[in-house]
Amino acid sequence: MCGTGRSKPVEALKTALEGSPLKTRDERCKSANWIVVHRAMMAIRDIDGMFNSLDTEYYDILMKYLYRGLSTGDRPTCDQCLKIHEKLTERAGLGCILRSLADTVNTV
Amino acid sequence: MFLQRHDQIVSGIDWSRSSNKIVTVSHDRNSYVWTQEGQDWVPTLVILKLNRAALCVHWSPKENKFAVGSGAKSVSICYYEQENNWWISKVIRKKHESSVTSVAWHPNNIHLATTSTDGKCRVFSTIIKGVDTRGPQAGASVDWKFGEQIAQLDLSPTWAFGVRWSPSGKTLAYAGHSSMIYFVDDVEGSPAAQNLALRDLPLRDILFVSEKMAIGVGFDCNPLIFAADETGLWSFVRYLDERKVTPSTSKASQLSEALGKLYGQSRQGSSSDTVEPSKPRGGAHENCITCIVPLRKGSESIVKRFSTSGLDGKIVVWDLENHITIPK
Repeated sequence: MCGTGRSKPVEALKTALEGSPLKTRDERCKSANWIVVHRAMMAIRDIDGMFNSLDTEYYDILMKYLYRGLSTGDRPTCDQCLKIHEKLTERAGLGCILRSLADTVNTV
Repeated sequence: MFLQRHDQIVSGIDWSRSSNKIVTVSHDRNSYVWTQEGQDWVPTLVILKLNRAALCVHWSPKENKFAVGSGAKSVSICYYEQENNWWISKVIRKKHESSVTSVAWHPNNIHLATTSTDGKCRVFSTIIKGVDTRGPQAGASVDWKFGEQIAQLDLSPTWAFGVRWSPSGKTLAYAGHSSMIYFVDDVEGSPAAQNLALRDLPLRDILFVSEKMAIGVGFDCNPLIFAADETGLWSFVRYLDERKVTPSTSKASQLSEALGKLYGQSRQGSSSDTVEPSKPRGGAHENCITCIVPLRKGSESIVKRFSTSGLDGKIVVWDLENHITIPK
């Protein structure tokens, strides 16, 4: 894999996370953003590398999307989400999980 | 020695330093003020008129009033009426959309902050004619009527706990159940809030050790130290109990141990049955700390000792004196 190929999924993920519609209640808007995040997430092969270039401000939002992914029940999605979940929890701590679960107002 | 009167869980207790009275509230919807007579403590029933459990209680700074938060979405302010020799309660019924989890008195003896499971922190005026309107008063607080809401903070998307004022009353702090702690300056005027995200588990109670240092306690079973710098910016310093393995790495590794079985399903396709819950290792408390109370000597303004109690049934006394320097 060439260098640029490896960094594109991370950039795509960052862009997708930035566009998270947390404040809206519009389900179609949330679904649309989820599709983009999902695609970017599934394309990532080097998870540690991803975290090295992802700022901590994205951690809480990413955790929310991981739980959305886990709720799909789709095997490849859940596999990827669990892999990322493990690393994210190591880096962000249990508080990150708390914030994604307890916040029923700002959902993805 | 047992003070026996309540017939359900005693959910709140406070001891007034100068007047030496203990007030207790319970899930049985009653409150008692205990007065010491010789060796005995004699209870006086205070009628709160609640149809749900009482959850928390605090004496006011002047100890002439106490506030009770309840599951009936109300706050009862009780004061002593000399003529009839009993305690009367005035209820603030409006505004709260759910149970009131904690109450805290501003040093001016009138403003009361509350937190609720509706996630909001509110400040009310508790001014009572005949109790507060005697002698010289701070002008601003007399403008509000009893039960009027002065401020409402909607910072937490989930339950709020453990509200406390700093010693001067300039800063207000409370905990959100999504592992957040909120520090708010000048609540009654133009509120300026700082939302601190915690790395680990949520807090249940807070104590201001000085104007610039606060201790948070909760589900980490280990007190957290927070300090403000010269500009007033709050941040997490460290955990107080060094005997506990550093929570951030240990929790994550314990969690990974437990989740490893779950993750294992995705890696090897093997199935596993149960996931063992992770236990905190070492340290003074073995379960969630629910309460933190200062132990003051004389009229010290800085708290050097405090006690914590928790779901493990333990009461632990902590001494800060030789462990950290407390910024004033």
